[in-house]
Amino acid sequence: MSRRLRAILIAGAVAMVAYEIVVSYVPGPPPELIFVITNAAVGLSFLVAGIAAWQRWPASRLGLLFTIVGYAWLLPQVGQLRYALPFTISNITANIYAASLAHLALAWPSGRLRSRFERGVVVAVYTWNTGQSIVSLLFWNPRTNGCAGCPANLLLVSGSNSIEHIFDVISVPVGLTISAIVLTLIVRHWRSARGWSRRVMVPLVWISFAVVALSVVQTVTGNLNLHVSNLVLYGIAPLILLAGPALFVASTLRARMARGAVGSAIVDLEPGAPPERLRDALARALGDSTMQLAFRLPDGSGYLDTSGRAVDPARPGQGRVVMPLGESGEAVLVHDQGLEHEPQLVRLTASAAGMALEHARLQAEVQAQLEQVQASRTRIVEAGDAERRRLERDLHDGAQQRLVTLTLALGMARSRAAGADPELESLIDSATKEAREALVELRELARGIHPAVLTETGLAGAIQALVERSPVATTITALPAGRFPAQIEATAYFVVSEALANVAKHAAAGSAQVTIRQLTGQLMVQVSDDGAGGAKPEGSGLRGLADRVASAGGVLRIDSPPGSGTRLEADIPCT
Amino acid sequence: MPAACRDVRLDFVNPSAEILVVDDHDGFRAFARIMLEAAGFTVAEAATGAEATEAARTVRPRLVLLDIQLPDFDGFEVARRLAAQPDSPVIVLTSTREASDYGGRIAASPVAGFLPKDQLSGAALLEFLARSPA
Repeated sequence: MSRRLRAILIAGAVAMVAYEIVVSYVPGPPPELIFVITNAAVGLSFLVAGIAAWQRWPASRLGLLFTIVGYAWLLPQVGQLRYALPFTISNITANIYAASLAHLALAWPSGRLRSRFERGVVVAVYTWNTGQSIVSLLFWNPRTNGCAGCPANLLLVSGSNSIEHIFDVISVPVGLTISAIVLTLIVRHWRSARGWSRRVMVPLVWISFAVVALSVVQTVTGNLNLHVSNLVLYGIAPLILLAGPALFVASTLRARMARGAVGSAIVDLEPGAPPERLRDALARALGDSTMQLAFRLPDGSGYLDTSGRAVDPARPGQGRVVMPLGESGEAVLVHDQGLEHEPQLVRLTASAAGMALEHARLQAEVQAQLEQVQASRTRIVEAGDAERRRLERDLHDGAQQRLVTLTLALGMARSRAAGADPELESLIDSATKEAREALVELRELARGIHPAVLTETGLAGAIQALVERSPVATTITALPAGRFPAQIEATAYFVVSEALANVAKHAAAGSAQVTIRQLTGQLMVQVSDDGAGGAKPEGSGLRGLADRVASAGGVLRIDSPPGSGTRLEADIPCT
Repeated sequence: MPAACRDVRLDFVNPSAEILVVDDHDGFRAFARIMLEAAGFTVAEAATGAEATEAARTVRPRLVLLDIQLPDFDGFEVARRLAAQPDSPVIVLTSTREASDYGGRIAASPVAGFLPKDQLSGAALLEFLARSPA
């Protein structure tokens, strides 16, 4: 709506209200204050709702309809002026507001009438409500018929009381029928609506019943000349009409809050929540219980929603609208058509849902990458272990074997040369000594690369061998006898080996203890000493050991307060 | 693997052999033979665990010098099978590795002892024979 039009409407509304107040000071008996208040309040509320609706949905006719109701309500008030023309106009237009109310209710919430039949009904209501007033005026002389102080009726043809009365009595069943048809249509709209549309229909149905009841009571009592207090019937009861604008304002507020609710629904979702939780949160926030969140099947053959039902985005079903999420077309929202009247809200929801899904996708991607990295780290360590085993075996089968043979050969040469040449004897002796030392060094080297004892006998034998070689007095408190997967045995072995090497090199300890226990789902390896403590976890040896334990999916803890010994503990998962 | 299924090499078997050298390393077997024959023993050879069990039945040596690492089954398994035979020979395990590299497995085997390969001599074997009850 343009600024100018809005200004005109507001000015018109202000003028109408000012007029209301002014006419209450026109000479003659002043109207009851309650009539002034009710008339002004009802008329103004529809005009305000109209401006609000125009603002909220510029493309919808709902704003126009609210405004029409407001003016149709206020127009008959000109009859307050005690002149013939305004008095006649007031009486002709007295019931138009009721027709526009029916129009508004049937067009709710889109502002458009749903079928040709309904357009016919609305036209009929307008025609009847105006025509009936005109025809009635033809035979109503106010001055002789209940209103001696009223101005003249310009349409008066015959002041016959009986004709006017007969017409009024005939009007009652017609008016009732029209009201019944309108009410039935409203109830039908409500029954056929689903999701969001149904929710916004519920208060309308209740308000319609009340308004139709008011209209029926007014028609029946007026036309049949029943004596019911005017104060109640025209002063207080019309305040029920305020419910219409109130309903609209409430729905506007709800839509506002829904925008916030969409945001908090996304924020409140815990990370990695399954998609059905996202759907539930969005459906709640939007007030559309029928909302579906559907994902494209991996083979691209179609879409499935979060409860496993097939969804065809090309044919979402009657009254349903498809909203793609993101650009990939991986996921779609299918919602009630009524929500199209909340385009901002739907756009907001779609982008929020898109973000949530993107977040979930990224999270899954990071998780998958993490799993890949963990798996590749484990494979790298395993490959390293295998390579070390191969190297050790190569040394054993090759160089060590040859050195052994060489030693034996030297031994035989020594016995052949015995007594023949003392110089040759001493030469062979020193060659044998060199060969033996080379063999010892090679054995140490091979053991460092990969202890054969670990492959040959498993963890228990290897740990016993380590402890026997340790220069610090070391005891074994617990040691499981069984075999474990090669990587676990190697990891546990290297923890003990590195720990005992550190005890010997740095701890200045009197004794050390090795404990290995098989607990549920893990192997617990512990090495403690009574030495100086103060070991630094960030030192390269312990850092490498921590990496090694982590590669097996375990954790390494170091407790080394200065002066209170060191305790190294590794938990290695094993099933 | 049942021994009968193997193509047992019996061409080198000496019926009066006193020592059976079991090792898959040809060079070591050759040197061991020369050294032990020089020390006065008769020597038979086997290159695998299967050959060793077969040769032990036919040759009936007094002592078996048994390498722990063999291509088919390891020395511990061969020792177990030999020890299960009637009049089992004195079994001495050997390796280029040290005894500690095998943890408690050597002590748990039905063998007379362990001799590092580079310590091999006729005198060392005689000592084992002398210590054995048979």
